Amino acid sequence: MSYSRKRVAPIVASVVGAMLIAFLWVLVTAEPNTADDADSPLLGQPAPSVMTTTLNDEEFVLANRKGSWVIFNFFNSTCVPCVAEHPELVAFHERELKATNPAELYTVINDDNDASVRAFFSKNGGDWPKVRDTDGAISVAFGVAKVPETWVIDPNGFVRLRIAGMLTPGLLDDQLAQLKAQFGS
Amino acid sequence: MKTKSVQNKWTWLLVVFAAVALLAFGSTRDSGPRTQADRIDAITKVLACPTCSGESVYVSRASGAEAIRAEVARQIAGGQRSDDEIIAYIEARFGSRVLLVPRSTGLDSLIWVLPVFVLICAVGTLGFAFRRWKVVGSDSISDEDAQLVERALREER
Amino acid sequence: MFFASGINGALGRAFLLIGIIGSLFGAIAAITSARQRDQAVAKLIPRFAVLVFAASFGAFAVMERAMITRDFSLEYVQKVGSVSTPAIYNFAAVWSALEGSILMWVLILAGYTLGVTYWLRKKMDDVLSRYALGVMFIVSLFFFMLSFGPANPFAAGPAGVFDGPGPNPLLQNHLLVMFHPPLLYLGYVGMTVPFAFAIAALITGRLGEGWLLATRRWTLFAWGFLTIGIVLGSWWSYEVLGWSGVWAWDPVENASLLPWITATAYIHSVLVQERRGMLRVWNLSLLVATFSLTILGTFLTRSGVVNSVHAFSQSAIGPWLLAFFAVIVVVSVGLIGWRGDRLHSPGSIDSPLSREGAFLANNVLFAVFAFVVLLGTVFPLVVEALQSRTIVVGEPFFDRLTIPIGITMLTIMAIAPVLPWRKASQELLSKRLFWPAWCGVLALAGSVWVGATGLAPLLTFGLGGFAAGSALRQVVLATRRQGLRGLVGRANGGMIVHLGVIIIAVALAASNSFTHSQELNLEVGKVASFSGHTFELVDVVEVKTERATAVKALVKIDGGKAYAPAITKYVLQGMNVGTPSVKTGLAYDIYLTLEPPVRQDENKARIKVFIKPLLLWLWIGGGLMALGTVLAAFPGRRRRNPTSPTSEDDFAADLLVML
Repeated sequence: MSYSRKRVAPIVASVVGAMLIAFLWVLVTAEPNTADDADSPLLGQPAPSVMTTTLNDEEFVLANRKGSWVIFNFFNSTCVPCVAEHPELVAFHERELKATNPAELYTVINDDNDASVRAFFSKNGGDWPKVRDTDGAISVAFGVAKVPETWVIDPNGFVRLRIAGMLTPGLLDDQLAQLKAQFGS
Repeated sequence: MKTKSVQNKWTWLLVVFAAVALLAFGSTRDSGPRTQADRIDAITKVLACPTCSGESVYVSRASGAEAIRAEVARQIAGGQRSDDEIIAYIEARFGSRVLLVPRSTGLDSLIWVLPVFVLICAVGTLGFAFRRWKVVGSDSISDEDAQLVERALREER
Repeated sequence: MFFASGINGALGRAFLLIGIIGSLFGAIAAITSARQRDQAVAKLIPRFAVLVFAASFGAFAVMERAMITRDFSLEYVQKVGSVSTPAIYNFAAVWSALEGSILMWVLILAGYTLGVTYWLRKKMDDVLSRYALGVMFIVSLFFFMLSFGPANPFAAGPAGVFDGPGPNPLLQNHLLVMFHPPLLYLGYVGMTVPFAFAIAALITGRLGEGWLLATRRWTLFAWGFLTIGIVLGSWWSYEVLGWSGVWAWDPVENASLLPWITATAYIHSVLVQERRGMLRVWNLSLLVATFSLTILGTFLTRSGVVNSVHAFSQSAIGPWLLAFFAVIVVVSVGLIGWRGDRLHSPGSIDSPLSREGAFLANNVLFAVFAFVVLLGTVFPLVVEALQSRTIVVGEPFFDRLTIPIGITMLTIMAIAPVLPWRKASQELLSKRLFWPAWCGVLALAGSVWVGATGLAPLLTFGLGGFAAGSALRQVVLATRRQGLRGLVGRANGGMIVHLGVIIIAVALAASNSFTHSQELNLEVGKVASFSGHTFELVDVVEVKTERATAVKALVKIDGGKAYAPAITKYVLQGMNVGTPSVKTGLAYDIYLTLEPPVRQDENKARIKVFIKPLLLWLWIGGGLMALGTVLAAFPGRRRRNPTSPTSEDDFAADLLVML
């Protein structure tokens, strides 16, 4: 009896210890997460259909935009990084206007009211259409987790890029140039 | 004593019968049709809020969760899709990180397997311990134990 | 610079430094006096305990002073302080963020150290006391260093700041914030005391002397506060968060539940050690597990590791806590392995159908329960670390696995209290379980009659009735025999706790399974109805204060009193917080939330109504658990010497005679 019992405690103790050390080892040596936030099941898929109205009460149908690159910027006037990236978007828009076959930029209003958005744009500039997203239907269709997010849709209507979080200077231009090279403009 | 008291075999059978009958009746009867609100609740309870840590869409008040809830409500009101199809739609847009129930394939299946494994080990150990105690507790010593003692004595020397 | 942050910063740092030095010397004094049996050095231990407590109290008082006087030279005050926070929330703001709560941990731990020192004042000759205090000083040292270094609440902030955002809005709209964290911490930190004695017992190898039993009351004290803390946390969640639920299985909640589970298991299994001298390794392991789970839980919730595996190495305290956890585990596991031979206890359990057999079964269940909660909490981390993939483990997983565990526990709770030690005969069981079983059938019939459906809830109600019958039987027999004294003592107080647990289980099953809800679009002057109640919107009002704008919808329920669910926008944080309004009732709560978007101008409001059956009983059950814990802490009927295992349970024998 005592023969077998004497060994139980050390054995169980070392098994428990080894399991915990393995757990700690996994935590400490974990590789940085490669599947970043920009991943989406929609990449390479046809863009969800979007039918809504703009802030100027004009009809907006995404399917009608075929033939040019479309950029959706999901936006909320109270979100701090959205405000912070705004100058970058304005600059991008100005650069793009000078290009041959410019990409079309749209702001998708996420969980915000018309008045605040109007006030924001009249103060900070940005002369491109803003589309309403009633009840967040567009955001859910794209799987937008947290604004700001910027999405690029190619001229054939396929989703090509998702940028989650704030745009850094030049990021959108670079990515768009790459995509145009890859998929043709 | 056994025969005199009310607590005889028959009354116990009555207890067991009453309990089983009530359980069977209560758990199989129809609880009325599911309302749309019930469906919304059931679906949003298994979807994770995309911006929170571990909260369901049902729980969360975050803007992303509100949008998903509104979408679920819209699709249910549309009446076209089943609950599973709605969940599949949301997963197709947000990816698997909005699923609150871990999958039962690959590495994820461990989360279902391990608790069962631990339970079996724990109950097994307990059963084994009881058996051994029973052997020790009884007056007669089994051959196995006699051997153990012998071996232990040899080792001591 | 070291003391460059004004008088409060300098004073606070100085107190923390004194605390570090005091803990260090206290630990040295305790351990050297234990090793060399040096009486002179041992006399110093109480002085260091006083010094350490004074230092922690001083540091905490300085932090409060800084907060009350709005000393915005401190970074921490800039972070959680605000000129416009009301005084009471401002006082509580000290523990509303990481650095302050570590400071509170330090204060409570030093308080426990002092308390244990006082409790041991006449037993200081014993080497084991000294080792235990040595362990407490070492843990104090760690937390003082944590507060002095990586979680420094006295760091100087940028100059020229004269106001701050105040505490998180969720932490400043309910008084529970004042009480919940300190009570929870009293429980959390209190688990250090039994752990210290467990380690001391392992070091000295004196495991059969009833030292762990002597600390029982400390464990019970900590356990009681942990229970209250968890219940208040759920209450806060219900009253403030506005999703109508009490428990979401999120990592923070799980971190408080895990040590509670292992401590509960210990409270039960220690009785087997007391009675029969068995399960010594297991009991020590439970104490070690409880303490290490408090540290692991703090690591999980305070280092950001839950959001991403990689966040913790960037957080200042993550690596510290993880290293401390590793040290605790390695030292304890090593000690248990080393002392395993001495832990071997004589004796055996004759029959699974006995009090000790039931305790063992209960412990197996608690162990599996703790494993499930721990696994669900850390599994996403493992998957992320191994496969760089995000998965979420939420309520559905925990519900699926813990509901069967809970139902099995109820079954044991129904049978175990009537079991005698050693062995139960079938006849005895039939006799004692008869009326409790009828209670169960009655409860089942009652719940079927009122329309309950579903196997799991019905089992919960039926077994709840059965278990309540068993608990009541014990209480009734004891009070009939001893009058009011029959309510105190471990067994009787324990049964009151059981009643509380049963009530909570029933309330949880009812409110989770039979809640129904509906969104109502209300307009002023029109009456909507749902589930037999009418809801009339009286007015939508906007209340502006300096720190927030609240929109309230005044809704009359059944034409009576107006309830006011609200959405409050906190200007400084840019955060919307929904505040529910609850009409409480014994049968069910009516829980109202205001849903966005709010259209104040149109005199319309979208309200969500939840009918939550039996929810009030959660808090009643929690109160009963607290009451039972207090009763259990009083000495009950005199028993035989706990260290000598008795062969007959005299009390159970008495009960047998009574029936």
